[in-house]
Amino acid sequence: MIIAFFGTGDTLADFSNEALRYMSIVAGFALLLGVISITQVSAGVVRKREKDWPYKIVLLLCLFTMAGFGIFQGITSGTVFEWLFENIQKPMMATMFSVLAFFIASAAYRAFRARTVEATILLITAIVVMLGRVPMGQYVYEDFPAVANWIMMFPSVAVQRGIIIGAALGAASMSLRIILGIERTYMGRG
Amino acid sequence: MDSIWTQPFFYFFLPAFFTLAVYSLLFKDNPWFKFAEHVFAGLSAGYYAGLIFTSVIKQQMFVPMLSSGRWDMLIPGALGCLLFVRFFPRIRWLTRIPLAFVIGTTAGIMFLQQLHGLILPQLQSTLLPLNDLSNIIIVVGVLTTLVYFYFSKPHTGALGGVAKAGMWFIMVAFGAHFGYTVMARVSLLIGRMQFLFVDWLHWAQ
Amino acid sequence: MLAWVDSVGWVIAAGVPGLIRTDRLNALVLLIVFSIVVIYFIRRAARGEKLYVRPLAGLQAVEEAVGRATEMGKPVLFIPGTGDIDEIQTIAGLSILGLVAKVTARYETPLLVPVLYPMPMAAAQEVVRESYIDEGKADHLRPETVQYIAGESFSYSARVGGMMLREKPAANIFMGTFHAESLLISEVGQSTGAIQIAGTAEPEQLPFFIAACDYTLIGEELYAASAYLSQESKMLGSLKGQDLVKMIIIFCLLAGILAVTFGVYPEFVVDLFTAN
Repeated sequence: MIIAFFGTGDTLADFSNEALRYMSIVAGFALLLGVISITQVSAGVVRKREKDWPYKIVLLLCLFTMAGFGIFQGITSGTVFEWLFENIQKPMMATMFSVLAFFIASAAYRAFRARTVEATILLITAIVVMLGRVPMGQYVYEDFPAVANWIMMFPSVAVQRGIIIGAALGAASMSLRIILGIERTYMGRG
Repeated sequence: MDSIWTQPFFYFFLPAFFTLAVYSLLFKDNPWFKFAEHVFAGLSAGYYAGLIFTSVIKQQMFVPMLSSGRWDMLIPGALGCLLFVRFFPRIRWLTRIPLAFVIGTTAGIMFLQQLHGLILPQLQSTLLPLNDLSNIIIVVGVLTTLVYFYFSKPHTGALGGVAKAGMWFIMVAFGAHFGYTVMARVSLLIGRMQFLFVDWLHWAQ
Repeated sequence: MLAWVDSVGWVIAAGVPGLIRTDRLNALVLLIVFSIVVIYFIRRAARGEKLYVRPLAGLQAVEEAVGRATEMGKPVLFIPGTGDIDEIQTIAGLSILGLVAKVTARYETPLLVPVLYPMPMAAAQEVVRESYIDEGKADHLRPETVQYIAGESFSYSARVGGMMLREKPAANIFMGTFHAESLLISEVGQSTGAIQIAGTAEPEQLPFFIAACDYTLIGEELYAASAYLSQESKMLGSLKGQDLVKMIIIFCLLAGILAVTFGVYPEFVVDLFTAN
């Protein structure tokens, strides 16, 4: 992959693209392992009549119904697969996403108890940006939107860049450790 | 003639039922949430299974093999099958081969992507002339944040001072992001409330 | 032997015009400098030289968190991120999982590892299994320790949230890639009173982990975690190398900024840092 990146030839680039394709196919086979895992765990709970065992039957029924329709009928528009996704799965996805509004309020309540200098800085900045994003903020102080935008565009971007550069160095170091065979814990070889 | 599946009962009631069941988590764990949670998990797993089988296994492996004679697709197929030898203790070690292939490929891609695709562009964007307060803030912010992540020496003395400034910058950025996200999340909640009160119950137009 | 022949062949090919992309020379130089510096420190560490790395509170808390779970008779919940195996953060999470699994095996604390994608699930099963075997506790490993859940991040969050409310783990450890589900999972975990340690390199999710978790590893600290927890000299050596490269980058950046400020070949300097 590394040589393909710096070479001008097509052969290495093609090899690189094929390796990526192979990777996605191998990951596709792993999906069956995932289904086996869910089935094993859920069936075990049902067999032993452990806590909440009826819900595991619901889970298995939904899994095999959806997968079955997807594999045998197809996944295009007008299929049962698509109907189940649009009418049951998608509303639940949107609802879980919207639950974040409640959780962000509880997280804010906890985070904004300013007990240290750092927490105070976080609190003040968050309030300024929140007020800058709502019409009410302008009535309190007319430049709140401009200040909020400046904070988002400059100090916030600076820190994001610093974190990205640092994380990229860390990731590159980890990749090099894997390539050299020094990092092996991910394979169960500590 | 309209299909039964487009009748209002199914069209609005089923999504509304599951919406309310998920919201019930906010009160406490309860049978409705457990039911919705297991339906959600089952359908998602089944959705992913159907999608991957159709778009990856069928489209990327079987179709090229059978229509274009790409028998080299048997290689990833064989690697994929090796994942299942974990159920046979004697040859279980073979399951590491496909894992090694995938992780090695990832490491190779990531090594380059991080250095070329992330570090260089971020550094290029930071090459700003120090003739403007905003530019100075960006440069100081980037440098102090990088120093904060220095592991080789304890954060004392001058290094500690710079690292502390980096921590303050980080808190400003996190506070800003937090405040920015609050309104985005509230708008998601407004969307679901509109579905429940306008589309389903018709309490408002 | 074959590897050396390949390398020499590649070096010769690189010298032949038209076979190497000259517009990517800056990336090549960065790659070579990075590799040389990191490998140099790895070799120094391998020779037995003691290299100092400053302690990270979040990682020191891992063993304490597992000990707390053992005392309370509750499980430890570990999430190796919600990314697939093609993300380096997931691999970092799996590395940390191996080390955490050793601790839970040692203390005979139940471990729960819900995973979003099947390939990381396969890797996590191997990692946990080997850790338990290394500690001589293979018989304590349960089939439901590592579970594949869902395949989509919000249904995953719903299942993990349900798991936290019912199983009530005493310690939650989140290490890897996270997206919008970070707040969902960490807030539900917070409500159960668990000690929570998180680590991610996603800048957008860090504020939520900082609000909801007791300890948070920010960006680069996630990748350093496996070196810290294992205390293996070669891995610590790579950390030192990474730090030196960071200092080189800082000095190059400062030099570039001064050049751009005073108008000393500004276009050339900007080209030096351009990714083609």
